[in-house]
Amino acid sequence: MDMLVKTKHFGEVELDENKIIYFENGIFGFEDCKSFTILYNEQDGKRPDISWLQSIDEPALALPVISPFIIKPDYNPVIEDELIKHLENLNESNIVVLVSVTVPSDIKNISANLKAPFIINSELKKGAQVIAENSEYEIKHYFYEELQAYKAAKEGK
Amino acid sequence: MLALSRKVNESIVIGNDIEITVLEVKGDQVKLGINAPKAVPIYRKEIYLQIQESNKEAVNTDVSVEAIKKLFD
Repeated sequence: MDMLVKTKHFGEVELDENKIIYFENGIFGFEDCKSFTILYNEQDGKRPDISWLQSIDEPALALPVISPFIIKPDYNPVIEDELIKHLENLNESNIVVLVSVTVPSDIKNISANLKAPFIINSELKKGAQVIAENSEYEIKHYFYEELQAYKAAKEGK
Repeated sequence: MLALSRKVNESIVIGNDIEITVLEVKGDQVKLGINAPKAVPIYRKEIYLQIQESNKEAVNTDVSVEAIKKLFD
């Protein structure tokens, strides 16, 4: 069933209820916001690399998110099993991993939070933001250079 | 805040299943051992606060959606 949702960047959108992802613990800093959806502008029928994790409960709450693999192909966060137990049977076909992106006015200082990824079971529509145990993953991972390399490789295809 | 004095190797128990033990005291550093169910997340507070702050920063960007999109095109 469709519902009307107010969003931060896309106005009021009609959203199929099965597009809502439930984060039972909320996300860090917004622990009371538990229902989210992922919004993006399709381009030529394709999904772009950048999307927005939009709160259903709070229209002003929307974070830009990307797949960490576009800037770090070997991204492999180590997560305590118990923290994602409620996402149930995660496997290669249903897992979606996203990281938030911070874009300051000087866009060359764009950074991704590799330390606290969003893990989503796309089948069950359940998600969690968790802290990776990997000491090498930073909360502010600056990736402007990596992004240019990724874009160059994409162009080359 | 409840303040309890403990010596090395002494513990406090929180609820039925969380135990915190003082393992070592060296100058101004204290090493703590924590026994808790795996489902209880334990964070160093500064990391926890930084991640909260990072989410807030990501939300509060001044850069327009179009400009952000263009960065990835």
